[in-house]
Amino acid sequence: MVPDLVLAQYDAPTKSNVTTDVSYQPDAIDDLYNDREIADLYGDLYADDEFEVSDPLVTVNRGIFWVNDKGYFYILKPLARGFRVVPQPVRNGLRNVFYNLRSPLDTVNALLQLKFKQAVTQLSRLVVNSTVGILGFFDVAGNYWDLERKAEDFGETLGFYGVGEGFYVVLPFLGPSTLRDSIALVPDGYADPVYWLADYSTNMACKGLKTINTLSLDNDSYESIVVEQLDPYLFVRDAYIQHRRFNVAE
Amino acid sequence: MKKITVLALIAVFFMGSTLLAAATPNVIASGPKEQLQQTVEAILTVLRSDCADESKKNQEISALVRQRFDYQTMSQGVLGRNWLHTGEQERSRFVVLFSQLLEETYLGRIRSYKGQTIIYADAQIRQNRAEVETFIQNDGVNIPVTYRLIPGESGWVVYDVVIENVSLVRNYRSSYNDILRNKGMDSLLDEMTTKLEELKARQEQPLQAPA
Repeated sequence: MVPDLVLAQYDAPTKSNVTTDVSYQPDAIDDLYNDREIADLYGDLYADDEFEVSDPLVTVNRGIFWVNDKGYFYILKPLARGFRVVPQPVRNGLRNVFYNLRSPLDTVNALLQLKFKQAVTQLSRLVVNSTVGILGFFDVAGNYWDLERKAEDFGETLGFYGVGEGFYVVLPFLGPSTLRDSIALVPDGYADPVYWLADYSTNMACKGLKTINTLSLDNDSYESIVVEQLDPYLFVRDAYIQHRRFNVAE
Repeated sequence: MKKITVLALIAVFFMGSTLLAAATPNVIASGPKEQLQQTVEAILTVLRSDCADESKKNQEISALVRQRFDYQTMSQGVLGRNWLHTGEQERSRFVVLFSQLLEETYLGRIRSYKGQTIIYADAQIRQNRAEVETFIQNDGVNIPVTYRLIPGESGWVVYDVVIENVSLVRNYRSSYNDILRNKGMDSLLDEMTTKLEELKARQEQPLQAPA
């Protein structure tokens, strides 16, 4: 059932929008879509301020990116691979426990962003999964009650209130971030129940375990970026910024 | 009474058309969702098949992908403003290289998820564009992959893939433009050629840490 609307695009194309460049000659390629239409497909394709990322610290960032990359391949990934001796259902459960631990963060930030319905959902998840789901190991709320997890953090909340991202930074160990999101990590840390319930070293051990567990469940996402992209640094940077901007706008 | 007659007629009509569709399995699937699903499932079938001839497999997949992906539009989208300042010859070189690179990337990803089930949401059609949301079910976590399509000569074709709210074309655009700005078109094409050779060389090997 192809809608009538489809036919609309075969209307006579207007080339008026692309004549600013004299050297440009339309060719056979543009039979169906003139450039204006393609520009529309990708939003701001020919806009002057097309998707720009402020990255004044690029040299330092690339340095930290390089160190993180080595850390990933020589320390984190081997550990994660070793951790795969733990049966996958257990690791999935552990992942759910860590998701559950960040429910307070998700709830508070949904509230701060005036997303009340979402806040109630996240709070219900916390209550249900912490009890019936045995400390969050089983995602009962998601599987049986259709209460879906939705991550929020203080960086997004700041964005919601109009705080700009500042510029791109690569943090040691933690990876891609922006000035705003890095600052937001401080309140994020206070919203973590482990911070209040355990001492410093237990807290750090938990964070380490979380990272290793997550990586053990990951399907070589970072490896494929490194292998496939011309410049992994740029690809990761732009993906991060796109992702964050979308989340803030949402 | 009249109402019932109309309903009966409609029912007969739909039954007729279903039977017709069932009788001709090779008929082109109707909407963007169905067409996309057809292609993705066909790719997965080839990937899962026991056929030992890897190069034949790759050719089949390549043909399937080419039929459904609009590399021309994607390339234009990736180059953005630079497309206007690029000569005819370089444009076609870019399109050829970029198609192959993207194909390798897409296949690399889909290969690692070949065991998983994919759920397809109904297409959302606005004006002459369609968006089909899919979810790769990966051990309790759904990875959202959205395909954006436009009508092409032989059905709907994909012009962008959005994974976790990150548009692939947009992402390529910003990193390629950075390279273009600093090194120029010739270097970009050279780098793409080198990358493609690397990818083809390690195609059948599992991903490894580059030293």
